[in-house]
Amino acid sequence: MKGTLSNVPIAKELDIVGARQTGRNIATELGFSSVDQARIATAISELARNIYLYAKKGEITFQQVEGVAPVGLKIIAKDNGPGIKDISKSMIDGYSTSGGLGAGLPGVKRLMDDFDIMSSDEGTTIHVIKWLR
Amino acid sequence: MRIPILKLHEYLLISVQVELDDQTAMQFQEDLLSKIHESGATGVVLDLTSVDIIDSFIAKVLGDVVSMADLMGAKVVFTGIQPAVSMTLIDLGIHLQDVPTALDLEQGLIKLRRELEEK
Amino acid sequence: MEQRLRNIILEHSDQIIKNWLVKLDENKVTEYGETISQEAIEQTNREFVNVIFSNIESNGGTNDLQEFSEKIVNLGWPLGYLTEGMQAFRTVAIRTILEDIGETNNNEEFLSIMEGVNDWVDPIKNRLINEYSSNWTNIVSLQKVALQELSAPLIPVMEGITIMPLVGTIDTDRAKLIMENLLNGVIKNNAEVVLIDITGVPVVDTMVAHHIIQAAEAVRLVGSQCILVGIRPEIAQTIVNLGIDLRNFPTKSSLQKGFRTALEMTGAKVISENEGEGDEIENILNSIEKE
Repeated sequence: MKGTLSNVPIAKELDIVGARQTGRNIATELGFSSVDQARIATAISELARNIYLYAKKGEITFQQVEGVAPVGLKIIAKDNGPGIKDISKSMIDGYSTSGGLGAGLPGVKRLMDDFDIMSSDEGTTIHVIKWLR
Repeated sequence: MRIPILKLHEYLLISVQVELDDQTAMQFQEDLLSKIHESGATGVVLDLTSVDIIDSFIAKVLGDVVSMADLMGAKVVFTGIQPAVSMTLIDLGIHLQDVPTALDLEQGLIKLRRELEEK
Repeated sequence: MEQRLRNIILEHSDQIIKNWLVKLDENKVTEYGETISQEAIEQTNREFVNVIFSNIESNGGTNDLQEFSEKIVNLGWPLGYLTEGMQAFRTVAIRTILEDIGETNNNEEFLSIMEGVNDWVDPIKNRLINEYSSNWTNIVSLQKVALQELSAPLIPVMEGITIMPLVGTIDTDRAKLIMENLLNGVIKNNAEVVLIDITGVPVVDTMVAHHIIQAAEAVRLVGSQCILVGIRPEIAQTIVNLGIDLRNFPTKSSLQKGFRTALEMTGAKVISENEGEGDEIENILNSIEKE
């Protein structure tokens, strides 16, 4: 088992639940603890909701990767939406443009081990990884 | 999908047994508030033992319902939040500071009674 | 060619061993062993050179290397002892061969002798280093597990009250583990109150305090309560000086005081035997039941 494991398109609200269920199943299969499963599923929920709220359409890709630990789960959230105007602002706790709790991106960063974001007016791609230890 | 709300004397009891999607959570918020209005309940125990994921949106909906119920004169206690859920909420930076909590339904009812007596 | 070099080495083994021991002696190798007796060093040196020779004879077919490196690791000798020992062997071996075949001005021949010797020495050296480092990694991971087991025990003292004594430095990894143990223990023991005792935590800085606060918040979310006990004067000072806000949950200087607060919180109290004449346990149980 290597490379891309699954691909979940996000286009409607219910896809958020689908994405996190897929992610949780993959995390279980890879051997993550129940707490890490919850962290991963929650992070996916946040990422998928961001796509749904700001870009309407996008997709979440799951990959098994190797790096600082032999097994890691990489989650790529990609959309072609308007992009994030001020990335550094979006990473501040409590900052939200949607009236949410503003826990989204900084929260995801804390839930996962690695966090990487690229955004332009052609879309946003966020890479996150959780390492199995 | 709708979450059943049970009435026991002046209390409302809810045990969430389904995975909470946004729609279900919003619907629940509405249902609970109208149930409080209609029954005049003074206390609500929301048991989350079977919930294995709460993201920031669901947390906001649930946190809001506590403040809203409070405005309507009903105290809400959360019970049975799982360790994994609790840890992810802390990671997300969500502390639900104003929400009373208890270990299980029984403790939740005791806590409600105590909080209501204090008033 | 290779066979010839090998024969030269084996033939002159006594000479090589002697020269090698002298070289090790004049090198810094012995410096590592300030606390090790001269006798032990000499014995280990002899063992080392025997291992090298048995490997040359058998073409790497023995377990000696593994056993030897295991022993070196367990004795706590540095890796440098092995690498310098091999280095010295290489020098001595080349010198001996050159002396045996007489002066040579032929660079090609000299190079091929070097290569020939390297072809034996390097695999042995690599294997020793690999064995050494894998032994070492193994020990580290075993210790990590041992540390985790020690990390955060949870002691249920009575119905509804549980104590978690924290000992040692708290880093992010440990904090996560502590939080997991804490929350799972709260659920398992049905603990209404958890006393976190930080008497054994040497330093409480912003990071450690942050971890403790987060753990306490998480405990509150699952429906229990934390009392932080074992706050020594210097810890109280750092907490205030660093501006850390611990007001959201009760803190007490000692476990005793914290335990009393915990009893109050669970609606129980300790009654002296002289006053109650035998009913006190009944009283405690009754008051717990009422909760």
